[in-house]
Amino acid sequence: MLSYEYVKCTDLNQVFQLMDKGEQVYPLAGGTDLMVGMRGGKYAAKMLIDIKGLEELKVLKEDEKGITIGAAVTLNEITLFAPVQKNIPILADGCHSVGSYSIRNRATLAGNICNASPAADTAAPLCCLDASVNIVSSSGTRAVPIGEFFTGPGKTALQKGELVQSIFIPKPYPQAKGVYSKASRTGSVDLATVGVAVQSWGNQVRIAVGAVAPTPVRAVSVEKAVNEKGEKDWANAAKLVHNDISPITDLRGSREYRFHMVEVLVRRGLEQTMEV
Amino acid sequence: MAELKYVGTSVPRKDAIEKVTGSAQFIEDRFLGPMLYAKMKKSTVAHGKIKRLDTTKALKHPGVKAVLTGKDYPNKIGLYLVDRDFMAVEKVRFWGEPVAIVAAVTEQAAVEAVELIEVEYEELPGVFDPIEAMKPDAPIIHEDLGSYDLVPIFYPQPGTNIANHFKLRKGDVDKGFAEADMVIERDYYVPQMQHVPIETHKAAAHWSPDGKLTIWSTAQSPNVVRQLLAKSMNIPMHKIRIISSYIGGGFGCKAGASLEGLVVPFAQKFPGHVVRIVFNREEDMQGTFTRQALNAHLKTGVRKNGRITALEYKMIWDGGAYTEYGVNIVRAAGYSSTGAYDIPNVKTDSYCVYTNNSIGGPVRGFGMCEMQWGIERQLEAIAKELKMDPLEIRLINGMKEGSTTASGQVVHDVAFDKCLKIVAEKIGWGKKEGNFRGKGIAGLVKCPAQPSNAASSAIIRINEDGTAHVMVGATEMGQGMLTVISQIAAEGLHIPVDKIDIKVPDTDFTPYEWQSVGSRITYTCGTSVKRAAEDALGQIYRNASNLLEVPPEDLIFDGEKVYSTKDPTKSATIREVADSCKKCTGEGIAGPIIGTGSFVPTNMTNLDSETGQGNPGMFYCFGATAVEVEVDPETGVIKILQLAASIDSGKAINPRLCTTQLHGGTIMGLSTALYEEVLFDKGIMLNRNFTDYKIATIENVPHMDSFIIETPETNGPYGARGIGEQPMIGVAPAIANAVCDALGVDFNTFPLTPERVWRAIKAKQ
Amino acid sequence: MSEKVNINFSVNGDQETREAVVGQTLLKFIRDELHLTGTKEGCEIGECGACIVLLNGKPVNSCMVLAVELDGQELVTIEGLAKNGELDRIQQAFIDHAAFQCGYCTPGMIISARALLDRKPSPTDEDINEALSGNLCRCGAYQEIREAIKASSKK
Repeated sequence: MLSYEYVKCTDLNQVFQLMDKGEQVYPLAGGTDLMVGMRGGKYAAKMLIDIKGLEELKVLKEDEKGITIGAAVTLNEITLFAPVQKNIPILADGCHSVGSYSIRNRATLAGNICNASPAADTAAPLCCLDASVNIVSSSGTRAVPIGEFFTGPGKTALQKGELVQSIFIPKPYPQAKGVYSKASRTGSVDLATVGVAVQSWGNQVRIAVGAVAPTPVRAVSVEKAVNEKGEKDWANAAKLVHNDISPITDLRGSREYRFHMVEVLVRRGLEQTMEV
Repeated sequence: MAELKYVGTSVPRKDAIEKVTGSAQFIEDRFLGPMLYAKMKKSTVAHGKIKRLDTTKALKHPGVKAVLTGKDYPNKIGLYLVDRDFMAVEKVRFWGEPVAIVAAVTEQAAVEAVELIEVEYEELPGVFDPIEAMKPDAPIIHEDLGSYDLVPIFYPQPGTNIANHFKLRKGDVDKGFAEADMVIERDYYVPQMQHVPIETHKAAAHWSPDGKLTIWSTAQSPNVVRQLLAKSMNIPMHKIRIISSYIGGGFGCKAGASLEGLVVPFAQKFPGHVVRIVFNREEDMQGTFTRQALNAHLKTGVRKNGRITALEYKMIWDGGAYTEYGVNIVRAAGYSSTGAYDIPNVKTDSYCVYTNNSIGGPVRGFGMCEMQWGIERQLEAIAKELKMDPLEIRLINGMKEGSTTASGQVVHDVAFDKCLKIVAEKIGWGKKEGNFRGKGIAGLVKCPAQPSNAASSAIIRINEDGTAHVMVGATEMGQGMLTVISQIAAEGLHIPVDKIDIKVPDTDFTPYEWQSVGSRITYTCGTSVKRAAEDALGQIYRNASNLLEVPPEDLIFDGEKVYSTKDPTKSATIREVADSCKKCTGEGIAGPIIGTGSFVPTNMTNLDSETGQGNPGMFYCFGATAVEVEVDPETGVIKILQLAASIDSGKAINPRLCTTQLHGGTIMGLSTALYEEVLFDKGIMLNRNFTDYKIATIENVPHMDSFIIETPETNGPYGARGIGEQPMIGVAPAIANAVCDALGVDFNTFPLTPERVWRAIKAKQ
Repeated sequence: MSEKVNINFSVNGDQETREAVVGQTLLKFIRDELHLTGTKEGCEIGECGACIVLLNGKPVNSCMVLAVELDGQELVTIEGLAKNGELDRIQQAFIDHAAFQCGYCTPGMIISARALLDRKPSPTDEDINEALSGNLCRCGAYQEIREAIKASSKK
């Protein structure tokens, strides 16, 4: 059994104090990545601070500016949240693609992005939605665009003492179709070999891809061709995604297959979202 | 045969209520007494000499009671070829091989102490491919192979890495090839897989001051564990007690003896403590048997009419670092090497080869999934060349009543054609359904792989009230042994199933059973139970005859009372007969009724060492699998549209449980066909948890259509034969054949992952 | 030695106060401290589902939860489903359809199934597949499990 301190926090100031003064202090929300990481020796926690009881982090709301998803909100709660289902179903798809039902009862969106796996299923949809990450610390708050949040495999823009408070998806919503499609070994509970989010915004498109670069990335070459050059041949457009990625070979698939699959899924995503 | 009352009915499982309420006890659920916890230090190299092994710091760690190394275990252990140390002595032969073990008062202390053990290795060149390992200049993994004890039906070649070379020569292959119109020659490969029962391997040991060793284990075969430990640890059998619990899945990985012996020396050192070892998932995947990888080469001669005239089959198996069990898989695959087909001229060479990979061993099918992959794929290739219907070629060559196997054994009670036709018909064989859709079929056969004298026995005690206890040494790992054995007992005793109690084995009380492996328990243990029941029923009649003064042949026992068929007023309740039966004068007639029965096959023989000819099969169980798939030609994803499986179970003792076995085996086959492959990098197992090694979930499993064919097995209890392993065999080739039908692409290996299918499609373009 | 914390919770309807060791998983706590051994360990990384329990009515992998997180929560394990000696409908359906073999995954399977029926009384095959895809059954009782759940759903 691992040995560390555990503090159930009751307010954010307490969180900041503990995070500022301690080394190897990890916030605990759903714990589904943290527990695996600690068992596997990835995290040598000296202290866990349980943040899921904090009201500030349980926020799940829609207002005139957009949708705010607190760091303690579970993936299943997000999937079922009517404004998400109605306005940004691509995020519901992404959340739904993570793990199994019982895992999603604990796992959070904030946790999924903080784990910063290049294959994180929620990341690509968020990248298509102009989402931003609200970060808090003892020195205040800052909002980081989702595209700048991921800095490498397992690495984020979070500084010491900082905590993700919420994820914000701004209005206007796309008002159009978006799909998150995932290639995996089994098509059941599995990590993405390739994850592709394609979100139509009228005649414009945003595309983000996962598991094919050190971080989830926007397929800017494809977007440019479609949005700026008016490319309508989706197969041609999809080929350009190769310029935006640098996949590796691992247990789930080869670099070559990833190159191929990302192109296929981008093309299919374009077909599904851009054609009426 | 009289009408059957209990056999052939789908009574609910005996273990049902316990299992749905969480009260079924697996070994880790039992409170056994004051505990010590054992954890292993494992090798970090795949092949190397242990230069230094220092346990001093670990011993000083708080809570640690003792640390042992390989030298603390007196002898080697092994079922067929005794080549395996409990822990490495002087050298390690695979990555993750245990080199030391700690016992501590808490699991945490044991884990910490393991980290404090210092080991230095002098790395030796490793060999990870059995074909490489057979080459003359390959590093030798077992220098002392020539000195190992073995059952003399195995043929190791000292000075090489060949742990067994099984030879089979039937007919005249040269003549057979000369008669052929066409010869097809191909290579096939089957990778390692893991059983991954959801319950990992676990064991606990207790040494009582009077020298009695008690072991609780997840072992499939308590009697074999007792036998091997007795020999290896020099303890007489009556001083070893092996207690079984429910087992959370076996599939072969818990056969033989595995981890039990590791904790015995600790138990001896600390009498009164229970020393427990529990493998975590990673240890379970890496440290227990994997399915041996197979490199297969088939050369088949066939006439234009589809009749196969000759087969040359060369198999090179990756036995891994120790082949104590694996040598017999190689033998079984060798003597069965024509699969479900009658081929007159056969030459087979099956080699079990040491490598520095994880230990190979038995998995559901015992070599048949691996060996028949090549057979069934080759048939597809032949059919294609001859432009013949794949079903037709199977029917032409398929075994029939009186056919001979590769080893020359004549098979009886065969309805293989029925198995094939019923699944083919179910999926609409011969009808092309559209682009990217295809249909495939595969046949299958297996006999239990066991020594010719592997025995079973049973004891039935009739209680004073006419209820009964059945005692057998078979284990319950999900296959339904408790239920089926109770039904066989009920039939023989005329006592209803719900008045029969049966428990998992305890070698101090339950009689001998060789092993719960090889789809043999219904047949072997079932026969011994049937005999015990007949013995007990005979006593019931004898007692009643004395009591009622009616000749025994005029008596009928209906489960409640015994009465005369001539004069039904002459009757006695079972209670009167079974509870110290006495006359009305008070004179005793008979004491408690105990029926006994035992079984050993008498139809099996040794095989000739040069030709492999003889009778290795106690019975042969045939079946077939048919599938329809739709393949996404861009992504390589296979969708199973239809999946039909048949098995000739003989008399289905419990039809519903037969169906669950058929489904279960089919799903395991599906999972290995599409997803499963253990990946190694120079002996290091890369995918050793459920994140990296995926098995089928409920989402991956389509609706299955299942067909239980009931061609009575002449010698089986009530005509039954075992079916536990067989349903798995045909699934991978049937799917590959269907994908081939859909896209015209060929596979010599599986799993058919999306990427592999995509590569095949790409290669064709 | 690790720190211990007092926790209050309800388990299978009974209110309890216990000490929990920081670092201990809820799974270990349920098995080793509450001695409710129906909940099984199969992987320790949330992949197999053998340890699934209901936490505040929702199925969660108890190997992914800390025992100390149980404070103030409501826990139901497999032992809590049968009431007054009467099996829950889903338990009976598992028996009737032979929806298990070795039985090791069964407690987690039944908990997931119970939770599904609580939120969707008439689940489709797709609902069942989704709800139970985190419960691995190596014996392959999946078809029978689907049948058992369908049989205990509201028509």
